[in-house]
Amino acid sequence: MWIWPCGNTNPIKAEVEETLKRIQTHKGVIGTIVVNAEGIPIRTTLDNSTTVQYAGLLHQLTMKARSTVRDLDPQNDLTFLRIRSKKHEIMVAPDKEYLLIVIQNPSE
Amino acid sequence: MFTDETLDALGVESLWRKSQQFAQESRGCQTRPVHTAEAEIQPLLNADNGTQTDPQDHLIYQLPLKGELRPESPGLRDFLHRVEDMVVKELGSNAKSHAFDGFDVIWEDQNETVSCIHCLQHPSAQEKGLQVTSISWSCTGSVIACAFGRVDDGDWSTEKSCVCTWNLDRRGLNPKRPDMVIDVARPVMSLSFHPSQPSLIAGGLYSGEVVVWDTNRTQDLILAQTGMSTDTHREPVYQVAWVPGPRRGEMVVLSAGSGGRVLLWTVDSDEGRLVLSAGFALIRQQVPHNSALSKNRGSSNVGVTSLALSPWDLDTFLVGSESGLVLKCSFSAQTLAAAPPDGESVTLRAPAQFSFSPRGGPVHSLHCSPFHRNLFVSVGTDGLAHLHSLLQPDPLLSLRVSDSYVFGVRWSPTRPLLFAAATGQGLVQIFDLGRKSLRPAATLDQLTGGQPVYCLEFNPRRKDLLAVGNADGSVNIWHLSTELTEQGPRETAKLEQLANEVAE
Repeated sequence: MWIWPCGNTNPIKAEVEETLKRIQTHKGVIGTIVVNAEGIPIRTTLDNSTTVQYAGLLHQLTMKARSTVRDLDPQNDLTFLRIRSKKHEIMVAPDKEYLLIVIQNPSE
Repeated sequence: MFTDETLDALGVESLWRKSQQFAQESRGCQTRPVHTAEAEIQPLLNADNGTQTDPQDHLIYQLPLKGELRPESPGLRDFLHRVEDMVVKELGSNAKSHAFDGFDVIWEDQNETVSCIHCLQHPSAQEKGLQVTSISWSCTGSVIACAFGRVDDGDWSTEKSCVCTWNLDRRGLNPKRPDMVIDVARPVMSLSFHPSQPSLIAGGLYSGEVVVWDTNRTQDLILAQTGMSTDTHREPVYQVAWVPGPRRGEMVVLSAGSGGRVLLWTVDSDEGRLVLSAGFALIRQQVPHNSALSKNRGSSNVGVTSLALSPWDLDTFLVGSESGLVLKCSFSAQTLAAAPPDGESVTLRAPAQFSFSPRGGPVHSLHCSPFHRNLFVSVGTDGLAHLHSLLQPDPLLSLRVSDSYVFGVRWSPTRPLLFAAATGQGLVQIFDLGRKSLRPAATLDQLTGGQPVYCLEFNPRRKDLLAVGNADGSVNIWHLSTELTEQGPRETAKLEQLANEVAE
C-alpha cells in the first residue's frame, strides 16, 4: 500500500508536471494531452470537451496507423504520428500504455 | 376329398433375447435434522438520512482537477522520459521548418465565380408593391423565409402583407411560387427563425405586435401572439430574435421597436399567447454618454432600429437607435427605467451601460463578429461601415460602403475578415479586411434597377450561400466563390491584430 504525503511534495509527480510544462511552453504549442491505453485522458491543458474529443479521435487514429504500419511490414512498428492541417499540426507519440498528444501552431 | 382342418399355433422361443432385469436394489438417504432457531431485533434509536447527487452539467468524463492529489498513473514518468526528447526535437524543427510554406491542398471543387442561382418572388406581393423587409434562414439551412412590408411608408399602415417561405433543397423549386404563404394583417418588419426548431418563426409587425408562427400546423399557423395589450409595443417592431431563457433549453423571443422598448416574451403555446417576462426601456436621460449630445427636444425614448446579440457573451447586446446612438446593453442590468409606468406587467429596467461614438443618422444594422469577442460592425444612413471594438467608443476603422444609405451588414460565418453590406443603390458590397485596399472585394448587383437592398443573411449551414432581400419584392440567392468562403491562413491572427489597434 502506498502512502502519499500531502501536498505537491511528491517528487515523481513533480517531475511529471515539469516535463509536461516544458513541452507546453514550447514555441507555438496550443495544448498537451496525455491519454492512457483505454483512450481516457489523464492530463490535459485544454478544456474538458475539446480534450475528450481529441483523445477519443486520436486514440482511434493512432491504433489504425499502427496496424497499417504493421500490416505493411510485420517487423516494423509506429514510432510517431504527425497530422498537418491548415490551421495547426497535431503530433502523437505512442507507447504501450500511454499516448502523448501535442497540438502546435507552427507559424507563430 | 378336401376337408377343413385347423392346426395348433406354433411358438418359437427367442435364442438371443434375454430378460434385462437381473438385479434390483433400492437405496434411500436422509439428511440429519436441520437445527432452526428464531430471534427478533428492534432498533431503539432511529435516524433519517438522505443523499442526492448534483445534476451533471455535461455528460462527459469529468477530468480530475489539476493540482489535486491523485494516485499516480504507474509508468507515466518513465513514458514521458522516453518521449520527451523526441517530441521537443520535433516541435523545435517544426517551428523553424519552411517545408509547408505555400503548400495548399484543394479538397473541393473550386468555384471561381459568384452567381445568382435563384431569384425568388411572390407575384401577388409584388403587384401590391410590397418590399422585402427581412429575411431569415432556418437552422437547417434549407428554408428561407421572407417578410413583406414597407420601409418607406411613414403612415400607420393597415395594409395586408405576408410571410413567404421557400425550401431550396426541394426538387421542383418554383422561384415564382413560395412553398408556404402566411397571410398577416399588418406589414411585417422583422423575422427570425428559431435556432433549433426549424418550424418556428417569430415576426415583428408594424403595429407593434409580435407573433410566433408554427409552420408544422395545417390550420391556424399562429402559435402565439402578443395581441394588442398594455404590454405590447406601441411602435413598429424592427427586430426580433430568439435568446436563451431562464430555464435550460428554453428560448424566449426578444423584440425591439422604435418606441424605445426591448421586451422579452415567453411562448405559452397552450393559451396561444406571448407572455411578457422582462422588459427594458431606453430613455435618453439614462443613456451614458461621453460626448455632449445635442439638446434636442422630442420624445425621451430612444427608438431602436437595430439590435445585435453577442455570440460570445450571452449577457451583452448592442442597440442601434434612430438618432445614431450605438449602445452596449446588458440583460442583467438592475437599474429601473425612468419611464412612467404605462400599465405594463413587469417593471422596466434601463439596460444601457456604454455608449459608442454617435453616428450621423439612424443605425440600420449591427452585427457582432463570430470570430472575435470584441468586434462588431455598424452601418447607417451616412453610407459608412464602422468597425468597432467593444472596449472603446471610437471606431477602429471606417469604410465607405456607398454614397447612399446602407441598410444591412453581416459578417461572414466562415471568413473572419469578410463582411457584406447592403446598400440603397441596389448593390451588395463585400469587404475583405485582409486586403490592403479599402475597396470592396466583390460587388453583387441585384439588378433591381437602382432600388435599395434592405436585408441580407448568410446561410448558417451551407457556407457559400447568401440571401439578399430587395425593395422590389424579390429575394436573390447568391452562390459565392471559394475565395469569399474559404478561410485563409492566419486570418484569425490578423483580426486579432486589427482589434488590438487603438484609434487615435
